[in-house]
Amino acid sequence: MASTGILLASLLLLSCLAETSHGVLFSSLKQTLIVTASPKEGQVYKAGVDKLTVSWGLNQSFPAGSDSTYKTIKVKFCYAPVSQVDRGWRKTVDSLSKDKTCQFKVVARPYSSSNQSFEWTIERDVPSATYFLRAYAYDAADVEVAYGQTTDAHKATNLFVVQGITGRHTSLDIASICFSAFSVLSLAGFFIAEKRKAKSSHEK
Amino acid sequence: MAEVEGEPGSSMHGVTGREQTFAFSVASPIVPTDPTAKFDLPVDSEHKAKVFKLFSLANPHMRTFHLSWISFFTCFVSTFAAAPLVPIIRDNLNLTKQDIGNAGVASVSGSIFSRLVMGAVCDLLGPRYGCAFLIMLSAPTVFCMSFVSDAGGYLAVRFMIGFSLATFVSCQYWMSTMFNSKIIGLVNGTAAGWGNMGGGATQLLMPLVFDIIGRVGATPFTAWRIAFFIPGCLHIIMGIMVLTLGQDLPDGNLAALQKKGDVAKDQFSKVLWHAITNYRTWIFVLLYGYSMGVELSTDNVIAEYFYDRFNLKLHTAGIIAATFGMANLVARPFGGFASDRAARYFGMRGRLWTLWILQTLGGVFCICLGRANSLPIAVFAMILFSVGAQAACGATFGIIPFISRRSLGIISGLTGAGGNFGSGLTQLVFFSSSAFSTATGLSLMGVMIVCCTLPVTLVHFPQWGSMFLPPSKDVVKSTEEFYYGAEWNEEEKQKGLHQQSLRFAENSRSERGRRVASAPTPPNTTPSHV
Repeated sequence: MASTGILLASLLLLSCLAETSHGVLFSSLKQTLIVTASPKEGQVYKAGVDKLTVSWGLNQSFPAGSDSTYKTIKVKFCYAPVSQVDRGWRKTVDSLSKDKTCQFKVVARPYSSSNQSFEWTIERDVPSATYFLRAYAYDAADVEVAYGQTTDAHKATNLFVVQGITGRHTSLDIASICFSAFSVLSLAGFFIAEKRKAKSSHEK
Repeated sequence: MAEVEGEPGSSMHGVTGREQTFAFSVASPIVPTDPTAKFDLPVDSEHKAKVFKLFSLANPHMRTFHLSWISFFTCFVSTFAAAPLVPIIRDNLNLTKQDIGNAGVASVSGSIFSRLVMGAVCDLLGPRYGCAFLIMLSAPTVFCMSFVSDAGGYLAVRFMIGFSLATFVSCQYWMSTMFNSKIIGLVNGTAAGWGNMGGGATQLLMPLVFDIIGRVGATPFTAWRIAFFIPGCLHIIMGIMVLTLGQDLPDGNLAALQKKGDVAKDQFSKVLWHAITNYRTWIFVLLYGYSMGVELSTDNVIAEYFYDRFNLKLHTAGIIAATFGMANLVARPFGGFASDRAARYFGMRGRLWTLWILQTLGGVFCICLGRANSLPIAVFAMILFSVGAQAACGATFGIIPFISRRSLGIISGLTGAGGNFGSGLTQLVFFSSSAFSTATGLSLMGVMIVCCTLPVTLVHFPQWGSMFLPPSKDVVKSTEEFYYGAEWNEEEKQKGLHQQSLRFAENSRSERGRRVASAPTPPNTTPSHV
């Protein structure tokens, strides 16, 4: 039984080490888009309340025809490095299929050669963190071919802060207190009632 | 001839001691049935049930069993309720990996102390009030999750909810007042295993509840707080059921029966001394930390691991994580059963080998789980890891009753505490730092399991031997009576306080395996059937 177990284990180990396929690499994308947004450096936005405007378009310094393969543009909300520290679930990885930097989609639009813009109310499930905006251009096969972002290559400039909702509500707090009180009081009630019953039957 | 009920192999004369640690029922000649008692199940002279009828709700024995394991299950649900929702909570509260890891450590640490206190509470107030007090006083801590707004609050609330795991003690204590000691092994093992399933059920329940609340319209950062009301309400419901439907003892409640006082109490200091000076206690404390301990740690990290590593949806990660904990339904009893089977042929050596094999295989599959790059292989490795670790828990408690007769309670308590301590330690070392990924943490934990299981090779019983060594050649020292009698001094032996230990020693001769028939009569003891 032990030997078959060890054989099975080693077979599993071997198959575990097989690599999975890679997706598109971020480093292979060209930064041909210019993305600008209304947030200024260090500005604080409230989730669910504040709006921001993002505009994007092809960088005119690139030769005409570079955008021939672009079919859709997706603008995403991305974590700045300071919000990625000690948080492996937001890690930047070169392989785009594994990259977790940009987790929120702002807008997806078909590509057009003129500049476009979009006004977005920051959603209520966006957590408190520091962000920048990035737009990806996709081809007809929905594979990333180019990008543009509001910050520099080191992701150090033009970052802004979003203050997420707390998720707490007064009604929830009150319900919580009521249920807790019920629990403690009913326990005390039972205990006292049983003690009284035991005492009265003992006295009989 | 008296009729024989129960499992095959139970001797008519009851003296070959082939009773298993886990048995479904006790035959009549071995433990006589009290004919005057009017209970649904046959009972012994203390009115403890002799039969374990799983699907009955008969008052008071089986009803107690079900109330007890479901209360323990509920506490497991609430202690690990945060784990499958961590992907949402970590964004709401802006947690770092250290914060999440520390909260996980806190969730299992609280019960180390509360379990020690619970023993005393059960002695004073009875197991029914012990259970009800804990479960109803920890309900407010579950509701407190709605107030949490930062890492500190999250850690504090998880620590306080973790106190409720002391229901393990009230559960086992309550079972021992209701069931005969010959079947208590299986009863307690089943209750413990099914209670532990709560750690798996919660991974299924909480994402489901979260999903439903989200569909009704709540935003995620509020929905997870509302979801915690479900385990909180379960606490209140179970507390009320325990108070209204439960009773401390087969004949009634504790206060009424405390007047009797016919159980001679042992000296706590002596019992503690014999527990802590027996080296085997500490080896099993370590071992349980790497079977139960890693099970608790995995309950805390596995859902988040699958969510992040394989990009699954929250409830998919929850379903996979749930299969880990739910395997307890059969895996833990299987471990006990395997231990008993091995003991039938090879005695205590078989039990020790069974434990080593199960726990080491669990460790190997844990290494595979961390290294797996594809989802099907990861799930497969996780299932095998869960069976290995949980069966090892069951096998551990197949051996613990034999370490000591006098100090069994304290040794069981220390072993249980070792489980929680092991869990806290592994979470602190492997899952609280950003130095390596969770996947690497799992593999390293697997390596540590394999290493920390090796000390079982050092466990040696003079009367039965160890994994590699035969029993002692000394005629006196190689008897069970000598080993269990050594816990009592001459004065206590004169008073006859060691009689129960001697009876146990005689029954434990089954741990010699197939060599029972050739066991010599020990020189200084009088056989009880003369």
